[in-house]
Amino acid sequence: MATPPAPVPPVTANSAPTPAQSPFKAPPFSQPPSTAGTLKTEIPPASSSAAIAAGVAAVGAAAEDSSHVITVPSYSGWFSYDSISDTERRLLPEFFEGEVAAVSGSRGPEAYKYYRNTLVKRFRARPARRLTLTEARRGLIGDVGSVRRVFDFLEEWGLINHGAPPLGAKQGKDKREEATTSQSSLPAGPTTPKKLCVGCRSVCGSAYFTCEKADISICCRCFVRGNYRPGLTPADFKKVEISEDAKSDWTDKETLHLLEAVLHYGEDWKKVSEHVGSRSEKDCIARLIRLSFGEQFMGSKEQKMEFEIDDDVNNESRAEIPKRPRLTPLADASNPIMQRVAFLSAIVGSGVAAAAAQAAISAQSQVDMNDNQTDSPISSTKEEESSYTNGFSANDLLKEASTNAQVQLQKEQKDIEQSLSAIVDVQMKEIQDKISRFEQKELLMEKEREQLHHLRELLFVDQLAVVQHQRRPHAVAAENKEEEKPKPIITMG
Amino acid sequence: MKTVSLGAPRSSTVKFRMPTRDNLVPIRVDIEVDGQRYRDAFTWNPRDPDSEVITFAKRTAKELKLPATFVPQILQSIQGQLAEFRSYEGQEMQVKEKIMPLKIDLRVNNTTIRDQFLWDIGNLESDPEEFARTLCDDLNITDPEVGPAIAVCIREQLYERLLVRLFLL
Repeated sequence: MATPPAPVPPVTANSAPTPAQSPFKAPPFSQPPSTAGTLKTEIPPASSSAAIAAGVAAVGAAAEDSSHVITVPSYSGWFSYDSISDTERRLLPEFFEGEVAAVSGSRGPEAYKYYRNTLVKRFRARPARRLTLTEARRGLIGDVGSVRRVFDFLEEWGLINHGAPPLGAKQGKDKREEATTSQSSLPAGPTTPKKLCVGCRSVCGSAYFTCEKADISICCRCFVRGNYRPGLTPADFKKVEISEDAKSDWTDKETLHLLEAVLHYGEDWKKVSEHVGSRSEKDCIARLIRLSFGEQFMGSKEQKMEFEIDDDVNNESRAEIPKRPRLTPLADASNPIMQRVAFLSAIVGSGVAAAAAQAAISAQSQVDMNDNQTDSPISSTKEEESSYTNGFSANDLLKEASTNAQVQLQKEQKDIEQSLSAIVDVQMKEIQDKISRFEQKELLMEKEREQLHHLRELLFVDQLAVVQHQRRPHAVAAENKEEEKPKPIITMG
Repeated sequence: MKTVSLGAPRSSTVKFRMPTRDNLVPIRVDIEVDGQRYRDAFTWNPRDPDSEVITFAKRTAKELKLPATFVPQILQSIQGQLAEFRSYEGQEMQVKEKIMPLKIDLRVNNTTIRDQFLWDIGNLESDPEEFARTLCDDLNITDPEVGPAIAVCIREQLYERLLVRLFLL
């Protein structure tokens, strides 16, 4: 099979933006990165203008007899039968570096080329079928380890088994059926609490991507990595945010469990989350706080506020609280303001809300309580909490909170200073130890140097003796022997 | 200064290794469990880590759809042979030129190969893989499984002769 000579320009079917038009660009990472996800289709030179489906491997029934359409992902565009690219040299150094590789044989570039070309040709002979390692290594003359590494490399880069059905699955239609059933079991509505990604079968986080074309949804990670069917491009996907409700739809049962657990275990969140079952500790805590009477369980107001500072989830939950009808509407007059605050914080997102909360803390420490009311829409989402629960005594509580916070701050600072000084002490000791050790070593070195000097002198004398011995073998030999003997005795000291 | 002239080839002493360019061990596996039989022969690099053996066993069982009970047996078989090879590794051995006949008589799928040729079992640069490749190319053998079988067969014979020599010393 001859090599396809030049890259066939992607036909109009690949209508998506194609930044990867330079097919021979080697991607910078060792993991095949997802570039635009567009595919370069290679057609064996025999075929003419076969219609190319958008990058899907198909056994086309075009005019020629063996017109397979073989797809190669764009990040593997460097591949060519006749040469070895830098990517390969870098990722499989065993074949290219070291003395073993220099002499070609079972190691070495030629061996690599032989393995690689044979594997690729065998796969391309039947692209719809998965080439297993066992089959491959049985057909290759070489040691199993090397073959496996080349095989895995080629598979990872889509030069082998690209688009071939995975092991163990019934090939072809059945696999697609499985995929569709799994998707259909995920209604997009708010009734299912969790969104499963089709690509990696894990729960999607705060957002996911759907594709109209293929009716699949994948999580952010899979989208970024290009972990979807070959025929799709990033443009086909739409981002969908998951609201808090959909993500953590607490059923009554779970809430009941949670309350029981908190009653039993108090603040041992590990046990609470175990009792509840499928909720993490954070979720339990968040849920508890969000409940209308959550504050009582959380103890004093100050604790709760600290909690909110730390917990990211709570930043989001703070936005959510005003959305729900509150059972204890306290100050009606403040409701429109609260609504505005809630609206703003919802728009603005958790990060900015956290920053706003920080600003609120610092604002609290500056006394002026009269201004707080007017400042509320700007500065605090904290305010909404305090207003909800305590109404008119908000200011006093805030003062208390700020003083407490300061006291604790000071304590912390003292602790920090103490530990810093301890650290410094330890390091000083270390340095002193090192210095003394170095001094000892220097002493040793001096001694050795002296010994070396003496040895040198000895050697010199010996050399002299030898030279003299050569010139006047008989006469001087006796003298030299006498001379040599006393010397060693002296220098041994 | 006297010059030393090269005379007849002398034997040299090397650490134990296969007398081939690449120090690869021939491994043969023959396991039968509940009526199912798995036979295989391949070449292994003794410097590959043990994890490689485990992955190989699992992967092979998975790809050939063998029941899971095969995996530990395959593992033991391979590891045993490797351990045996490695147990000889510290020893010194004499190598010198020694030409002996090697025989190939095997059937792979539908191809039968019978051959006999001379091989210098003391030549540390010899290459059974290259021999197998050339043979298949020259005879226009289309079945790709023949080559590896030949290479393994040659290695096994070399290994055998090596052990014989080692123990006779």
